[in-house]
Amino acid sequence: MKLTDMRPEQEGRVRKLEGDAHFISRITSIGITEGTEFQTIRNDRKMPVLVYLRETLIAVNRPDAERIEVEAV
Amino acid sequence: MKDRIALLGQPNSGKSTVYNALTGSRQHVGNWPGKTVEKNDGFYTYKGKRYTVTDLPGSYGLSGNSDEEIITADFIKTGQADLVCILVDASQLERSMYMVAEFAAMSKPAILLLNMMDVARSQKKEIDHVLLAERLGIPVLPFTAAESSGYEALKELLARELESPHSLRSVPKLPKEAGSAAETVHAESEAKYLWVRDMLAGVTGDRQAHFELSRRDRRLLSPVLGKFLCFGTIVVGFLAAMIICLPLMGAGSMIPQLLNKPIFNLLTSWNVHPWLVSIFSIILPNTLYFCVAMSGFVFGVNLVFGYLEEIGFLARAAYQFDSLLSGLGLQGKAICPILMGFGCTIGGTCGTRVMDNWGQRMLTMAVVWAVPCASIWTIIPVISSMFFTPLQTMLVIVGILLYVVVLMTVVSKVFGRTLVPENARSGMIMELPPYHKPHWKHIAKEALLKAWDIFRRALRTVTLISLLFWVFSYSGSGNVADSLLYKVGTAIEPVTRIFGLGWRTFMGFLSSAFAKQAVLGVLNVVFVGDGTVLDATFRSAFSVATDNAVLGNAMTEAVSKAEALAFMCACTFNIPCVMALSTTYRESHSLKWTVRIAAFYVCGALVLSCIVYHIAALVL
Repeated sequence: MKLTDMRPEQEGRVRKLEGDAHFISRITSIGITEGTEFQTIRNDRKMPVLVYLRETLIAVNRPDAERIEVEAV
Repeated sequence: MKDRIALLGQPNSGKSTVYNALTGSRQHVGNWPGKTVEKNDGFYTYKGKRYTVTDLPGSYGLSGNSDEEIITADFIKTGQADLVCILVDASQLERSMYMVAEFAAMSKPAILLLNMMDVARSQKKEIDHVLLAERLGIPVLPFTAAESSGYEALKELLARELESPHSLRSVPKLPKEAGSAAETVHAESEAKYLWVRDMLAGVTGDRQAHFELSRRDRRLLSPVLGKFLCFGTIVVGFLAAMIICLPLMGAGSMIPQLLNKPIFNLLTSWNVHPWLVSIFSIILPNTLYFCVAMSGFVFGVNLVFGYLEEIGFLARAAYQFDSLLSGLGLQGKAICPILMGFGCTIGGTCGTRVMDNWGQRMLTMAVVWAVPCASIWTIIPVISSMFFTPLQTMLVIVGILLYVVVLMTVVSKVFGRTLVPENARSGMIMELPPYHKPHWKHIAKEALLKAWDIFRRALRTVTLISLLFWVFSYSGSGNVADSLLYKVGTAIEPVTRIFGLGWRTFMGFLSSAFAKQAVLGVLNVVFVGDGTVLDATFRSAFSVATDNAVLGNAMTEAVSKAEALAFMCACTFNIPCVMALSTTYRESHSLKWTVRIAAFYVCGALVLSCIVYHIAALVL
């Protein structure tokens, strides 16, 4: 499933990042790589998704969040 | 002699705090050659030696995702710095160490600052910096940038490392090319994070198992309540900024009052030419007043919004309004300057300092100009009520507000294409920093620095424009008909008529570009013949109130309803004022763009006035 499908408080792991090198570089430099475990904090309609990973609260805009394949753990 | 230091760090790493604390007011701002990215150079002296510091643009990595990253990587690779001072956030060490991993490949001399140690300590995070230094092979200094006590040690370390530099001992082992470009990038990033994990093993304690939003964040980040809270906080913040700057502005307004008469008397008694008398007794004291008022404003805004930024509020506001503003090509953070624009365009303009890069900043300034400031709301209802019923006046105001949205969209379309190119527009991926305890001393110091800077620089611009206006409005006899403004105004009246403006309302329009609060005074001069344009423009702040009833009668006789409507539109959407113009130039460091945007607004106001006039003439 996609990051945008996660429920708040649900924990997950990044499975795959879909996008060009530019996108991958941008998203990995802030700490999101394949295999990274995270905790979903908020996922509200029309708002960026809030996740907590690598000790950081990160907001990911929805179009980009849809390119992040995740699995619940 | 090796004396060139560069500061490298991710956004929110406290890089600019260190830069400002090191260099103070010995800074130079320019642009990187051929790029719309701000270049900050400064210097400081330590033990009799001079050191230059370059504040490299903040970015999350060095892989060339943006102009900022390309510039930073080039700067380091080509050896333009003798020592790179890397800043990481000690409270989020694993993630921010990624910058060190990116830097490692360049094998240049460096030191590592573990910044925000105060936050890390408050989160009970222990960091074994000795072990980390041993593994990395470069000095590691625990630091809190906003506290002045640590800088002596930093300067000493920098001096020592410039003499005998160290480079990273360990670098990430990058994999061979792994298929597509995207796959390679990904494999490399993974290798970098693995390296970071190795470096940090045993350096930091266990990671926090479960994260909980604080009560403050639960409210601030909720979709509906949070928007109201953010909105309210910005409004309250703006009011606080106003309260802080009021005494300064009050003191500033005393300058012309105190200086005008004595200078006038003195110079007249010396038989100085009336031209010079009016320059020295009216223009210069008022210019000084404008600049004091401006810098007072800049101080208040920087103090309050410096505080809101430091505690992490601005990042929350950006999160709340990102979806809304991304339609304009703007970042969520732009919400603050835009809302501040309703109070004062100068405030909004210098509020754009929170934006991430120059292009975003310039575009936000251009958009802020479209927001009608408080002064406009003091003149529009007055003029409107001369011609229209209260209900119609309400409609005028609603119409203006609707047009604000249209204009903001147009501005972002027109200028956004160049300032924030489509391919550089990327959706928000940002961290929301943990709540930081504000360091007031540091915030106040930065605000003062900024205010002084604006004052120093604006004095020139405002004097120049004031003199220009003076040349046009000066009349030896005190009669309007003797001024250049009148002669030019009446000469081009056939043209201004197309826009629905007679020579008198056109004068009002011109004065609205100078200062919105001058409009009523100038109208009074040209319609009632009371006083001089010069006095009305420069002394509007404390001149006796114009008799609106008399002005109303005179205006309604000479001006049709359609013309009045056109005039109000033209004034509202003209250049905000000479101080806003000057602030924009000073904050953007770009004369080209300031002039471009000013020209756009003057033309836009005239076109709008033209359209409104011709449609209204048919209807009214």
